[in-house]
Amino acid sequence: MHNILMIVRREYLERVKKKSFWIGTAVFPVLMGGLIFVSIFAAAVETEKQRTIAIVDATGAIAKEAATKLEAEKMKDGRSKWVVEVVPVAGGIDATRESLKPRILSKEIFGVVTVGPDIESDKNFGFYGLNVSDISATMDIRGALHDAVVAKRLAASDLKIDAETLNKMTKSIDLVTYQESATGGATKKGFEQALFATFAFVILLFMSLLLYGIAVLRGVLEEKSNRIIELLLGSVTPTELMTGKILGIGSVGLTQMVIYMATGGLLRVYAMARMSGGDTAWIQDALSMRKLVFFVVFFLLGYFFYTGLFAAVGAVCNSEQEAQNMQQPLTFALMIPYILTFFFIKNPDHIAAVLMSLFPPFTPILMFTRLSVGEVPTWQLVTGLVLLIGSTWLVFRAAGKVFRIGILMYGKRPTVPEILRWARS
Amino acid sequence: MGSAIALRDVVKTFGDHRAVDSVTFDVPQGEIFGLLGPNGAGKSTTIRMIMDIIRPDSGSVEVLGKPAAQSVRRHVGYLPEERGLYKKMKVLDVLEFQGSLTGASPRDARVEAKLWLEKLEIADWADKKVEELSKGMSQKIQFAAAVLGKPAVLILDEPFSGMDPVNQNLFKDRMETAERLCKEIALINKGQLVLSGPLAKVKAGFGKNSILLEYEGDGGFLPSIPGVARVDAYGSYSEIRLEPGADPQGVLHAVAARLKVSKFEIVAPTLHNIFIEKVGATGVPVLERVGDA
Repeated sequence: MHNILMIVRREYLERVKKKSFWIGTAVFPVLMGGLIFVSIFAAAVETEKQRTIAIVDATGAIAKEAATKLEAEKMKDGRSKWVVEVVPVAGGIDATRESLKPRILSKEIFGVVTVGPDIESDKNFGFYGLNVSDISATMDIRGALHDAVVAKRLAASDLKIDAETLNKMTKSIDLVTYQESATGGATKKGFEQALFATFAFVILLFMSLLLYGIAVLRGVLEEKSNRIIELLLGSVTPTELMTGKILGIGSVGLTQMVIYMATGGLLRVYAMARMSGGDTAWIQDALSMRKLVFFVVFFLLGYFFYTGLFAAVGAVCNSEQEAQNMQQPLTFALMIPYILTFFFIKNPDHIAAVLMSLFPPFTPILMFTRLSVGEVPTWQLVTGLVLLIGSTWLVFRAAGKVFRIGILMYGKRPTVPEILRWARS
Repeated sequence: MGSAIALRDVVKTFGDHRAVDSVTFDVPQGEIFGLLGPNGAGKSTTIRMIMDIIRPDSGSVEVLGKPAAQSVRRHVGYLPEERGLYKKMKVLDVLEFQGSLTGASPRDARVEAKLWLEKLEIADWADKKVEELSKGMSQKIQFAAAVLGKPAVLILDEPFSGMDPVNQNLFKDRMETAERLCKEIALINKGQLVLSGPLAKVKAGFGKNSILLEYEGDGGFLPSIPGVARVDAYGSYSEIRLEPGADPQGVLHAVAARLKVSKFEIVAPTLHNIFIEKVGATGVPVLERVGDA
């Protein structure tokens, strides 16, 4: 026990003392945090900006109505969101629009809206601007034009309905999506947010499992290729060495995960303080306690499942090149569920998703994905965990045998059948 | 006093190759013991079995009166033939780690490591990384790693490899070293024990039938003197092995007639010659040393 602790201590201190560990640790949350901050600030900045647009109206009947509608949109401070210039057509619509182009390029105006002569024809309405991906802006413009056109049609018809009544009758509804959950209440959630939150975690899980697996492999390989192993085996048993190494590097991983989760928790607090109501719901959900806990659990389970195998690969190889070939199957075993996430994120309860999430090598990533985007029946979760833990135990025993034999073998790398024979012995 | 190490009919086979074949010997406590034999004789395999790094197919290995697996990791310091250190670690950190594996707390191990660094006159290198050390310096660190924790038994596998200058008389030098250091020896060849016991007794068994000769002149005729079995020239002196029953006086006369003799001494054969007589001069045999601190 003392020896295992001493090995854990060395592995932990040697790794945590390195600058590269802290740089590596910082990269992911900085990236993810950066993304969230940018979207928060972008949203905040956007709402505060008053925009000017020009309308070139060939009919002469739409622009004024649309301008009234647009100018009725208010910002938080009560000022009008839009300033509308109605530009008379001079020498055709395109020529008029062309004459306004320098003002678009200089960002004096946000864009130009063109209204063709026939409101009933396709492609009669156009928007020309530098930024056409601002969905809320184009929604505003589209809504205003739509209302103006409807008013014009109404005036031309026999119906005796005033504009106000019409507004009431045609008022659009707002569809909000909620995610049902057995444990808590329904959560407001959009698909993109679910995707973003889950992917961020799955990427982190996949990368961590792979990187820490390889760290164990390289650690074993270093001891073997630098002939450190014999000196160590004078004091410790191979089992103590393997256990200590895996626990030590695992503690480093756990440290990193705890840092991530704490950062996530802080981000959540920050986001809730900065943003109001509906906007924070997805962040609350993305960084929910449940998700953070499951993340750490599946990281640890996945780590133990895979590192025994990575350690065994390190033990039978003599060089980095050999190890690179030998670790391929393990890398693939991690990549398959990672790629499958792209398919299963939309159908987390598909039979294929259910079955694959119960297959132990895939369980850490796929079960986490399913838990992250929806609800997993308790029996599936329990079955998945039991299978994963049981097979981890079996894998560890077999890997331990391969490790004990492989670590002392130099020269020719043993063949796969030989390795399997050791594992069964 | 019991044996520090006791091997009984130890056998180890790798595939078809019987690396160690029914080897039995005892290493007494408190003495320096030499395990000798040519390359591939099974010395390192024997040592690895003593260290419980590999298990014998049959036979028993006891260390300090207990099966090796129970006592060897706590009570035996081990300098393997294949030895290395963590390259990226600092010297003192490596020794602290190795010392802590003997049961000491990291703090105590660090204190002891510092003492050894001073004793070996490399205290200035304590904060350097292992990869910055010269080979000789690394050897000192590896030696320190083996002796940390005050082991009752110290096993050094090829302790002088890497320390020797390039020298074609490497083997002779090593045998001379063994002769100077070891009170007891065991000689193995092709996995089998050839002889073992106190060095003095081993030598006595061969009788005082060698002549140590120092001379000036051309000694090329020495092997042709009647009664001479073989001659080993060592530069300034030669060792002459006599045939059984040959008269040293006759050899003295023949030598004195043609060379200027400065020393003529009747001695027991050197370990080197005993070795060659027992196993033949094939291969370059190498010394291992099993010491008992």
